[in-house]
Amino acid sequence: MTVLLGILEEGFVYAIMALGVYITYKILDFPDLSVDGTFPLGGAVAAALLCKGVNPWLTLVLAFLVGALAGIGTGLIHVKLKVRDLLSGIIMMTALYSVNLKIAGKANLPIFSRETIFENAWIEAMLPDGVKRYVTVILLFLILLAGKLALDAYLKTRSGYLLRAAGDNETLVTSLAKDKGLVKITGLAIANAFAALAGCVYVEMNGFFEISTGTGTIVIGLASVIIGTSLFKNVSFFKPTTAVIAGSLLYKWCVSRAIRFGLPSNDLKLVTSVLFLIILVFSEKKRRGKKNA
Amino acid sequence: MKLSSCKGSRRKGLTMLGIVLMMGASVLSGCDKKKDDTIKVGIGQFAEHGSLDNCRNGFIEGLKAAGYTEGENITFYYENAQTDGGIASQIVDNFLEKGCDLICGIATPMAQSAYGAAKKQDVPVIFTAVTDPVAAELANADGTPAGNVTGTSDKLPVEMQLEMIREVMPGAKTIGILYCTSEVNSISAIEEYKEAAGEFGFTIVESGIQTTADIPLAADGLIGQVDCLTNLTDNTVVSCLPVILEKAREAGIPIFGSEVEQVKIGCLGAVGLDYYSLGIQTGKMAAQVLRGEKKACEIPFEVIEEAAFYGNTAVAEKLGITIPDALIEKAAQMFDTIEQ
Repeated sequence: MTVLLGILEEGFVYAIMALGVYITYKILDFPDLSVDGTFPLGGAVAAALLCKGVNPWLTLVLAFLVGALAGIGTGLIHVKLKVRDLLSGIIMMTALYSVNLKIAGKANLPIFSRETIFENAWIEAMLPDGVKRYVTVILLFLILLAGKLALDAYLKTRSGYLLRAAGDNETLVTSLAKDKGLVKITGLAIANAFAALAGCVYVEMNGFFEISTGTGTIVIGLASVIIGTSLFKNVSFFKPTTAVIAGSLLYKWCVSRAIRFGLPSNDLKLVTSVLFLIILVFSEKKRRGKKNA
Repeated sequence: MKLSSCKGSRRKGLTMLGIVLMMGASVLSGCDKKKDDTIKVGIGQFAEHGSLDNCRNGFIEGLKAAGYTEGENITFYYENAQTDGGIASQIVDNFLEKGCDLICGIATPMAQSAYGAAKKQDVPVIFTAVTDPVAAELANADGTPAGNVTGTSDKLPVEMQLEMIREVMPGAKTIGILYCTSEVNSISAIEEYKEAAGEFGFTIVESGIQTTADIPLAADGLIGQVDCLTNLTDNTVVSCLPVILEKAREAGIPIFGSEVEQVKIGCLGAVGLDYYSLGIQTGKMAAQVLRGEKKACEIPFEVIEEAAFYGNTAVAEKLGITIPDALIEKAAQMFDTIEQ
């Protein structure tokens, strides 16, 4: 049970971020590395605000907004200053390292003694002991579900259609007399808002902010998106957003099993990369195969 | 065309079902495992370098001294996060899954990860090499544990170190310190150095880095402005010490260490903690918890009191510096070779 809870908790948190990566990587075809900075950005915002006594639920909203701002930053660098997509992300990610340190005040900010969305007087008083163990996973699921439904709904709006068009066919957006740059910026803002929200929840769950938590976030996000969308591509009742969530859970499950069955944590990143590569090559091959047929 | 896509979808559905079953089975098999009698202890270490390795070996030794011998009545699981916060929490989850009776977190972020995850299941956490447990919220301001967590602190003997540097280098004016901006321990230690330096007639020149990749340039910049360097217990910097030592050797200035391992590999001297004894002390605390004599939440964290001088005469000779006899007499250990 412990295992399952652990996988679900981590999987749900990273799925929130993966929803964002899905927008940039799959819809916009924009490999956005800024999430390595926006994930801890959300965490820094959460830790700093909680230390000031701000309502834990409000920190989610604020982290989301701050993340969107960072995404807009990446978008402006790319669209207005004409910096290449990959580089814009790297610039933002690097800059955010210092910004995160500024926001948190230091590299490691514990919030063990503060009230969070997972641990507060209300939960302590209202819920029986047996349920408390599951509070974290239930809340995470609800936040994730809210995020997913909101994103699904958004993708059906006018602006959402434009976003999808921008990734597939930029000229179409231009021919509709819309600014494709603006559409990209909107997409990046939403994506990074999700990443920051995930970081915020992650810090509240773990009880401390640590500057190094962002390293490799993008890899987890990309892996979740690619595993999810390629494995569940043909499952008609799975929306892509659902597939991404399933991908995130599957990824976390793989990692947890790998460590469990004796893979030294030192080799983890190598194994992750190889797994990642195999899935990429595999899904790419299938796509090409289909085209040829 | 339509038919084939439908078939594909069914096959996918089966794959999915298979995956779900596999996940379920693996999770259940974990649950079914019988509880055996040996005690399981997970040791998570945040970075890999001599000081922390000594902590770990000391911890195992301390438990042995208290009657817990590896292979007989205790099993250790050891994992290293290599300074990656994300992996640290994964390591702790794995320890919990293995049903560890106690988790030992070495260095601040590892200790926090362990405490954050283990408190939900009330697994006791013992930390070591945490410079400021109060700032890390692992202990309350009065030194009592913040939860089911206790351990030992490796607070640097800053004033003794400055006094020693003054004895070795009577003419020195500036001391350079290299530190990683993402390590809180270092930031509080820098503050302490700055406060105490004036008393011994020194000025501190600090240089903050973000990753190990910044070290060569930062070291070059710093070495040009100072009479000597001194180390904190900064994990990032200490992991790359050989690079800095090489640069300092070329420039002909000494580096003072913060721990015996650093003196072995080429620091001129150090008033340092013995991390091995720190580990032993921690191991004994863990034994108390494992025996059920006391709960971790009932034991205040401990600070190691004795700090001793360690010197390296081979380094002194190379630099043309003589370590005063008075210091050598009270040294805990002197080395006459430089380990590579």
